[in-house]
Amino acid sequence: MIQDPLKTQFKVKGVVVITTAMLTFITAWQAASIVLCDFASSAFYAGGIAMKAFGPAFPWYILGVMLFAGLLMMMYIESCSMFTRGGVFPVVNAGLGENAAKAAAAAILFDFTLTGPISGLSAGHYLSGLINSVLKAIHLPFALPNETVAVVFALLVTLYFWYQNVKGIEDSSDKSRKIIRFSMVICLILFVWAIITLIMRGHITLPPIKPHLNENSLGWASNFTFMQKIGFLGVLVALGHSVLALSGLETFAQVFREIEYPKIQNLKKAALIVFLFALLFTGGLTFLSSLIIPPELIESQYHDNLLAGLAMHLSGPNFLKLIMQGAVVLAGVAMLAGAVNTSIIGANGIMNRVAETGILTDWFRKIHKKYGTTYHIINMICFMQVGVILLSGGQLSLIGQAYAFGVLWSFVLEMSSLVILRFKNREQKRGFMMPFNKKIGHYYIPIGGAFVVVAVVLLAVVNLFTKKVATIAGFSFAALFFLIFHISQRINAKKANDIFEEGHREKLNQSEVENLSKAMEDIVGDKRILVPVKNPENLYHLEEVLKNVNDEDTEIIVLYAKPLDAWSVGKTRQSNNVDEQELFTKVILIAEKYGLTVHPLLVKCNDYSYAVAQVALAAKVKEIIMGVSGSYGANDQLERLVMAWGAVQQSRNLEQKESEKISVTAKIVWEGREVSYKF
Amino acid sequence: MTDISDIKLKINLDNIFLIKDNITKKELVEKLVHSICDKNPSLDAGEMLAAVLKREEGISTTLESALSIPHARVEDLDAFLGAFAVMTSPIEDDYGLPIKVMFLFFSPAGQPYFAQHLKLLARLSEKFTPEFVQELTTCTTPQEIAKKVNL
Repeated sequence: MIQDPLKTQFKVKGVVVITTAMLTFITAWQAASIVLCDFASSAFYAGGIAMKAFGPAFPWYILGVMLFAGLLMMMYIESCSMFTRGGVFPVVNAGLGENAAKAAAAAILFDFTLTGPISGLSAGHYLSGLINSVLKAIHLPFALPNETVAVVFALLVTLYFWYQNVKGIEDSSDKSRKIIRFSMVICLILFVWAIITLIMRGHITLPPIKPHLNENSLGWASNFTFMQKIGFLGVLVALGHSVLALSGLETFAQVFREIEYPKIQNLKKAALIVFLFALLFTGGLTFLSSLIIPPELIESQYHDNLLAGLAMHLSGPNFLKLIMQGAVVLAGVAMLAGAVNTSIIGANGIMNRVAETGILTDWFRKIHKKYGTTYHIINMICFMQVGVILLSGGQLSLIGQAYAFGVLWSFVLEMSSLVILRFKNREQKRGFMMPFNKKIGHYYIPIGGAFVVVAVVLLAVVNLFTKKVATIAGFSFAALFFLIFHISQRINAKKANDIFEEGHREKLNQSEVENLSKAMEDIVGDKRILVPVKNPENLYHLEEVLKNVNDEDTEIIVLYAKPLDAWSVGKTRQSNNVDEQELFTKVILIAEKYGLTVHPLLVKCNDYSYAVAQVALAAKVKEIIMGVSGSYGANDQLERLVMAWGAVQQSRNLEQKESEKISVTAKIVWEGREVSYKF
Repeated sequence: MTDISDIKLKINLDNIFLIKDNITKKELVEKLVHSICDKNPSLDAGEMLAAVLKREEGISTTLESALSIPHARVEDLDAFLGAFAVMTSPIEDDYGLPIKVMFLFFSPAGQPYFAQHLKLLARLSEKFTPEFVQELTTCTTPQEIAKKVNL
């Protein structure tokens, strides 16, 4: 029977734009800034806390921890080169199994839950201190209550970054970049001025290397006399009290998914930026502070305010030193506020990785209608952080004592897993390997990796005994979250099983728009490639496009032309069974593997090639790259496409054709071969 | 001989038909294949028909405009050979699409000719708009069709 003429109109019938925050990528600088906001912000309090714990030897140990961070970052690069959506949960899951992964995720969540509040409160204290100094300087007879200011400021910062994260990481990462840029300038000025101060003084007295341990710094270990002997164990205890300066490194793995093309090179660049800046800022300035500020003043006056103290002890006129102190406080407030952001990003990343395996119920993975972010998870993290801020009453000390438990134990599990994976997943591709390996047979024995594992295990075990509050609070929190994961997993057992069998499905926003022109409104670049996709198992052509696109300006439109249920030309049983969510999930996973943004688009049509031609014309693409069909030959596909292309040209009048010459190259690509034609 | 977008296409009045009777798609394809092969004795009509029908088993060659372009790429051919027919009442293609004009051609096989082959398909599909196809169905003689198509 001849079809109803209405049905034979091959104009696309429905246009659906697919959005997700998963397709927004950031630069190496933005990634480094996110990590640094947390990692380097500890410069404002780590030195002071370490000084209180084991005396004037603290700068050596802070510097040592910063150098060790370089090794940890190399381990992180190896893990990221294996897992695009990496970090502690997937790595430990692959290396040590699901229960260990849940424990590791719970442990690191503990630290992220504390990082936000400690940073926000610390920033509040810095700010309150500066305001009170100014009030005193202008002889006003009142002072702000430090704790109240700290709580209010921490709450405001947390709420601000909660909103920014609900809006999406790109917005928040841009803020981090600005903060770090400003802090970098202040850091450099402070660094150079401190060096000049030392030169002008003409003599340098290096701090002692030997830590002075007391009952407080030894914790439960003070009951074991053998642990009190100063030596290697003393060094470990001192390093254990300095290890809080490592907080924030996990964010390195969490932001890898967001890093733009070329991913591993950009990750290495970000790692170098983080390492050099942290070494100079946290390690260098802490060291310079100990050389310039008398130790008794650090202990009595500047343990919470080390860098502000450094500014006040530089050589030069007092008004300049006051300005420098103000600038340091401003940089500190900005960076610590940035650390609040980083803690939300990091915790959100970890919860997402856990949720993707089906351990968490769908409620956690619900995405924001407008922004495409996992806002339920973000809400939950911020709610916990607000709770910690309110419970602390503005006192930093308790949170400070509880710190570093999660960081160390997640390092233990993650680094051990990476070493195990060298044997377990020997054949898995690695874009980077932690150096110092010995090749024996098919195996690369990770000597460098094993050294890192031994070091973190020793530090974690020593800290278990020396940091009482961290051990009790950390264990309790981690156990609670482990239980939440466990219960949620049982509730979600059927779903988790489906996810295991069918693979992960990305949550996507689908917005129907009036026409193709409307769908192209957000695509700004002129160099556009259209990549039609149909089969989730046949995306070789998309991967080839992403592999070979070597500039950031190319816009890649990924089109699924869905056959109409009623009637379509060439509709096969296979094309009826396409799971759109699976198809676009695979598209997103491939796009994030290469760190390139794609624009997913779904159109409903009754002729696949006509739909491709119409979208190509509307988007003014330069290239159409198709995969080879399972049902027809590549030449037949290209023939149908050129026929459709010719037919859709009928919609353009002569004037349009004259004024707007369109030149499009169509390619059918499959493994090792391609056929192409230039229209 | 006509020139469609720089492609030399051998087609003459004997290869143009105005079909007023009931006919199936397969019968029409056979008619056009024979009309070409009759003028080119080196071509085996049976083989050519098989080649065109084999291609028709693949992705559709019928367009929204009710133009159908069955074709085959033939070894040892050095020119494009064509024939076409206009139906006063539409016939049905394999997907139920209406066909009002069928333009059948053979093109030389071999990679150098493939681009021209594709260009011919694109140009034909662009030239035969639904309005133009409809206009052709009102023609009363092959001569009139040839004039309108400008062959």
